[in-house]
Amino acid sequence: MSMLFLADFSVIKPDFGLIFWTVLIFLVLYGILAKLAWKPIQKALSKRNHEIQDSIDEAKLVQAQMAQMKDDNQRLLAEAREESTRIVSEAEAFAKKRREEAIGEAKEAAQQVSMNAQREIANMRDSAMADLKKEVGVMALDIAEKVIRKDLKSDATQKALVSELVNNLN
Amino acid sequence: MKLALRALFLLVFCFALTSLNAQHDDGDHGDHSADDGHDQATTVHESCSDGHEGYDPASVILHHIADANHFEVIHGVNLPLPLFLYAPGHGFTTGFSNMLGNDEELKSVDGYVMNHGRVNRLADTAGDAMLAGEFDVECILHKTEVDTTGKELDTYFAKINGKEYKLNAASVGDGGLLGGGITNFYDFSITKNVFTMLFAALLLIFLWMAVARGYKKNDGQAPSGIQSLMEPFFVFLRDEISIPMIGEKHYEKFQPFIMTIFFFILFCNLLGLVPFIPGSANVTGNIAVTMALAVIAAVVAYTNGNKHFWGHVLWMPGVPVFVKPLLTVVEVLGLVIKPFSLMVRLFANITAGHIIILSLISLIFIFGNNGESVMGASAGGVVGVAFTLFMNCIELLVAFVQPFIFAILTASYIGAAVEEHGEAAHA
Repeated sequence: MSMLFLADFSVIKPDFGLIFWTVLIFLVLYGILAKLAWKPIQKALSKRNHEIQDSIDEAKLVQAQMAQMKDDNQRLLAEAREESTRIVSEAEAFAKKRREEAIGEAKEAAQQVSMNAQREIANMRDSAMADLKKEVGVMALDIAEKVIRKDLKSDATQKALVSELVNNLN
Repeated sequence: MKLALRALFLLVFCFALTSLNAQHDDGDHGDHSADDGHDQATTVHESCSDGHEGYDPASVILHHIADANHFEVIHGVNLPLPLFLYAPGHGFTTGFSNMLGNDEELKSVDGYVMNHGRVNRLADTAGDAMLAGEFDVECILHKTEVDTTGKELDTYFAKINGKEYKLNAASVGDGGLLGGGITNFYDFSITKNVFTMLFAALLLIFLWMAVARGYKKNDGQAPSGIQSLMEPFFVFLRDEISIPMIGEKHYEKFQPFIMTIFFFILFCNLLGLVPFIPGSANVTGNIAVTMALAVIAAVVAYTNGNKHFWGHVLWMPGVPVFVKPLLTVVEVLGLVIKPFSLMVRLFANITAGHIIILSLISLIFIFGNNGESVMGASAGGVVGVAFTLFMNCIELLVAFVQPFIFAILTASYIGAAVEEHGEAAHA
């Protein structure tokens, strides 16, 4: 019986027909799948891989650019802040200087004006005093002259004349 | 394209169904259990003696893992498959397997007779009159002969018109080396295995065309549906087999081949685990199939071999001159051993798994004492089902692991052949 089993163990006996069909089916299957499935899939996958890689690279690039820009911004901001501080302090110093200058000038001008006014007043007073002196002298001469001319006649007339003169004087 | 293929497939299938020779059981095997189609001994109907034969698990198992010229749907109902038979000197004989009759009434056409699901041919000694035209065959007889060297030989005889004619063995290409015997014809029929391979190929084409369409549809978008289901397989085979084994530089050229070989073997394995039509064919457990695949893999590897590879095979550099011829012998032997190991590994793994499962199912009949003990059969059923379930899980694992191994070894052979000088350190 043992030989029967071995004799019937047909799967280890290669059949030309089955070899032929296996080769044919496999090669046709390979041809069809390679053309219609494997190559397009391979292409699509590598395309997708490249796209993903490109996207990642681009994102990294953008990220780096963003970081760069942020740094730049910060630097610019700091510079601007510094600049503004400088400008403000300069302006403050300038304003202070200007104010002090202006105050000095004003004081000087006021002094000048008051000095001029005092000098003018003194001058006017002096000239007024001189004019008054001259006028009083002339009037005294006039009065003296008239007194001398009338008084000689009578006392009454002299008195009237003096009071008239005094009234006129006022 | 897709519609036409579908229509063609449907047409072929309908045609095959309409020509089903649905013959019913004649009653001597009334127990139509679920395992009926799978495990009945098939010798009973073809035996002229009506004596009740005992259950012979070995022959049942070997019958079930064998290729067949028809596709058994359930016991006694066969899906006819096309026959393309060629006998040198007698020309081609074509038709459907049901032209050779059914389990009840066998016929001989041009000398071809159906014996246990395989087409055999009458030996040339039958005479030209018997090797042409149709005859009714009464039965197939099995005899064990002892040849001159004392070796037992199984021979089958067809009884036609009361006369016994010797049958030649089924078509085999081993030249009698593995016990196949001498045959006088070639069988290029669409057998059960060929049918399953075609089915697997069609499934693969439909599946991967749908996947490829997804890439066209979702161009520049995330994958969806069947595409996202199958993409990991493609990427896994690319990243785990093709790129590491063949190298970044050459892998793109061979990735389609690795994919095809992996999925063809995987689908044939998985279909082989389905216990009913269109599965159940032991495709990758047939040495003809694994031989063809291994030889294709070897041819792909060796035809792409570069100067560096052949230099190492034929005249190994860097070793003393007197060692070189020795190494050449070893390396040339290696060229043959590589595909041989591929062939045997896949064949043995799949066949062994099927034999174990069929043995476990046979326990039902052995414990049941061939139908006499219901209790024994029940016990056998419990044990058989539990262990078969376990074995099926292992077989499922093997169905995935074996194509992976086949693909990874094929890729490594290709990688060795296309490897450029200086790419890897010399051992």
